[in-house]
Amino acid sequence: MRARRVSETAYLYDEPGPRARRRIRIASAVSVLVLAGLLALALVQFGSRGQLDADRWTPFLSWPIWEYLLVGLRGTLLAAAVVAVLGGVLGVLLALGRLSPVRPLRVLCTGFIEVFRTLPVLLLIYLMLFGLPAYGINLPVLWKLVVPLTIANAAAFAEIVRAGVLSLPRGQSEAGASLGMRRLQVMRAVVLPQALRAVTPSLVVQLVSLLKDTSLGYVVAYTELLYRAQVLSSYNRLLIQTFLVVTLVYLVVNGALSALASRMRRRTTRTAAPVAAAVPPQQGAPAPTVEAPRG
Amino acid sequence: MSRTLRRRSTIAASLALVASLGLTACGGSDSGSSAVPPSAGGGGEDVLQEVYDDAPVAEAAALLSDSTMAEIRERGVLRVAAALDAPLLSQQDPSNPDDVQGFDIDLAKLLAIYIIGEPNIEIVPPASETREALLTNGTVDVVFNTYTITEERAEQISFAGPYFVSGLAVAVRADEEEIQGIEDLGGRTVIVGANTPAVTAVPEEQPTAEVVSFATDPQAVQALTQGRGDAYVQDYTLLAADAESNDGIKVVGQPFTEEAYGIGLPPEDQDFKDFVNDWLEQVYADGSWAAVFDATLGTVGDGSTPEPPVIGSVPGS
Amino acid sequence: MSALIDSWPALLAGLGTTVLVLVTSAVGALVLGVLVTVARVSPVPVLRAAAFGYVQVLVNVPLLALLLLAVFALPDAGLIAPLTVTAIIVLTVYEAAYVAEALRSGINTVPRGQVEASRALGFTLAQTLRLVVVPQAARAVVQPLGNVLIALLMNTALAATVGVVELTSAVNKVNLVQAQPIPIFGAAGLVYMALALVIGLGAGRIEKKVAIRR
Repeated sequence: MRARRVSETAYLYDEPGPRARRRIRIASAVSVLVLAGLLALALVQFGSRGQLDADRWTPFLSWPIWEYLLVGLRGTLLAAAVVAVLGGVLGVLLALGRLSPVRPLRVLCTGFIEVFRTLPVLLLIYLMLFGLPAYGINLPVLWKLVVPLTIANAAAFAEIVRAGVLSLPRGQSEAGASLGMRRLQVMRAVVLPQALRAVTPSLVVQLVSLLKDTSLGYVVAYTELLYRAQVLSSYNRLLIQTFLVVTLVYLVVNGALSALASRMRRRTTRTAAPVAAAVPPQQGAPAPTVEAPRG
Repeated sequence: MSRTLRRRSTIAASLALVASLGLTACGGSDSGSSAVPPSAGGGGEDVLQEVYDDAPVAEAAALLSDSTMAEIRERGVLRVAAALDAPLLSQQDPSNPDDVQGFDIDLAKLLAIYIIGEPNIEIVPPASETREALLTNGTVDVVFNTYTITEERAEQISFAGPYFVSGLAVAVRADEEEIQGIEDLGGRTVIVGANTPAVTAVPEEQPTAEVVSFATDPQAVQALTQGRGDAYVQDYTLLAADAESNDGIKVVGQPFTEEAYGIGLPPEDQDFKDFVNDWLEQVYADGSWAAVFDATLGTVGDGSTPEPPVIGSVPGS
Repeated sequence: MSALIDSWPALLAGLGTTVLVLVTSAVGALVLGVLVTVARVSPVPVLRAAAFGYVQVLVNVPLLALLLLAVFALPDAGLIAPLTVTAIIVLTVYEAAYVAEALRSGINTVPRGQVEASRALGFTLAQTLRLVVVPQAARAVVQPLGNVLIALLMNTALAATVGVVELTSAVNKVNLVQAQPIPIFGAAGLVYMALALVIGLGAGRIEKKVAIRR
C-alpha cells in the first residue's frame, strides 16, 4: 500500500543519490520534529484545560452511550442508502436526458442539473421545510431530509454518469447502431454498462459525500449521528470528547467507503483508460466534470 | 472538577437504574427512573407515577368523530414537538433514550393519557424556528416547547393555554459582576435563541446591544460560557434550569417581560383547541399540573408552587 | 416580492458576509492546498504521509461536524476566535483538502514520459515542475478547481448553522418574519446561482488562457 503510494509520484525525481538521501533524511527529521511539536502543543493546550482527564473520556467506554450513538449512525446509513438509490436512478435518467437528441428533454434535464448543482443543500432543505406546507404537502421526517438530498445528489450523479458516457469511444455506439439496435437499446446494452463501470470510483466517492450530507438531518430533526451527538453533548457537557468521538465514527465509516473507492480506481485504471478526475465531490458539490480528451 | 465528578456519578447512577429497570419496567417505559438533570432527585418520580395512574381520561363523547383527537386515539400515540436537551423541561437521558422527562414532556404525557389512555408520545425535536412548520404540515399534533403565545404566531397556528407564565431574564457567566440585569446590557453583546421572543425584546429594551442568535439553548449556553457574548437573554425558567445544571452561569435580576407559554396546535382546529383547553382545566383543578411542576421546575427556585394561569388570558390564545 | 424589498439591508449584509467568507476561505484554501500538494509529491516520506493523512481525514468527515467542533467544542480547550473567523478557518482547512486532490489529479494528467524526458535532459525537480509539469497540469486543473470553489460557495451556507449570519441565515430570518418561503428562498437561490456562474465563467476564461495551442 505504502510502496504503491510512493511510486505514484516517484517518477518526478531521480533515484536519490547519497547526498540527496542525506538531505531527505534531514528533511524527514525536521518535519517529524515540527509535526511532533505541533501535536505536543495541541496536547499541552488540551491537557492544561483538563480535556485529557480520564473521567472526561471514560463515559465513552459505556455501552449505553454507544448504543445511543449507533442508533444515530443507523439513521445516517438509512438516509444515505435511500438517497443513494433514488439519487442514483434519477441521476442516470437525467444524464440520459441531457444526452438525448430530443431538444426539449435535453434542455429540461440540463436546466435541472445546472440549477441543483449550484444551490446549497441547506437552502433546499429550508425551502422544502418551510415552503411545502404552504401547498399542503406533508412528508415524514426521513423524507424531509431525503428529498432535498436526492435532488442535489441526482444532479451530481448525472454529471458523473454523463462524463462516463462521453468518455466511451464513439465507435461503441456506432457499432451498436450498425447492428440495427435502436438508440435506447444501444444505451442500455452497450454504452451504460461500460460507462458506469468506468466511473464506479467517482460514484463511490459521491456516496461518501452524500453520507456526509446526511449530517444536515438535524435541521429537520431527523435522528442521525451528528444530531444525537449534539443531544449527548448537551447532556454530558463533554463537547470536545463527544464531537471528536463522532468525527472518528464518520472517519471510520467513510474511510472504509473511500478505501473501497480507491481500490476500485486502481482496478479500473488497470483495465480501462482513466476516466473521471479523482476529485472527490463534496457536500452538495457538483461532480467533477470530465472532459473528453481533446487531441 | 466537582461538576465532572457529579456528572460521572449521574451517568453511573442512571446506568444502575437502566440495569434494574430493565427487569421490571417493560410496560410503563416512559415513566420511571431519575436522571433528569443531575439534581432532580428520584423521589419526585414516584409522585408522578401516581399522577399518571390517576390522570384524567377523556370521555368517549369528547372525542368527536373525524376530529384530530379521534385520529390521535386511533393512531395510539401523541406526536409532540419537544426538546430533548432542555433540563427540567424536556431532557432525554442518552444512556436510556426512552426516558425523557421535564415539565413540558410530563404534561405532554398527561395529555396523551387524556386522549389515548396511555402515556404514549412520540417526540419530534424542533429547532425553535421550525415549530410552526411542524404544526402546519402535520408532522406533530402538539408543541410543548416553552412556546410563547404571540399574536404573530397565532396567525399561523393555534394556541391552547397558556399553561405557564414566565418572563425573559438575563444570565451571565458566574464570575461576571458588572451586569445585574437587562438595564446593564447597553452596548454589550447579547446572546439570544433564534426565533425566540428575546430577538425583538432585547433591542426594544436596549437598542445599543448587539444581538447574536444561536439555534438551540445548549449552543447559546455554551456560547455564553465561552465568552461569545456578555449575557444570554432567555426565558427565566429555561435559564434557571440551565444555571442549575451548569456552575458556569448564573441568572441575574428579575424577569423583565411576561411570557405566556401555550400548547401549539395545528391552525384552524377549534374543536381540538377546545378539547385541549378542557383538559388543561382538569389538570389544573385536580392538582396534577402542580404535581408535575413540583417534580420538575419546582426543584429549582424558591420552592413555592405558582397558581396556574387563566386559560385564554393572553392575546393570541 | 415586497418581503425582499422591505428587508434588503439585512439581506445585503448577509450577502456581504457570504462573499467575505467565500473569498477569504477560497484564497486560504488555495494556498494551503498548494502547500499540501507540495508535501504530497515531495521526496520526504514523512511529509507525504502527513499530507495524505490530512486529505483523508478531511475528505471523510462532514463539514458540519468540523464546524460544531470548532465553534462550540474547541473553546473548552481555550481555542476561541470570533464566529465568522472560525467559520473561515474551518472552511479553509476543509476545502484545502479538496484543492489538494484537484491539484494532485492535475499533476497525474501529465504523462510520465514528459517528466522522464525532462529528467533525461538533466532538469532538477524544481525545473521539471516549473517548466514541464505545472504549465501542462494547470490546464487540467482549472475546471476541477472551479468546481471546488463552487462547492465552497455552497458550503458557506453551513456557517448559518453555527450562528454566522450569512445569506442563507439572513433569508431564513426574513422568512420567519414574512412567511413567504417561495419568493424569499427562490431569490436567495438565484443569488447563489449567479455567484456560481461568476466562478464558472471565471474558470472558463482562465482555462482558455492557460490552454496549450498546438
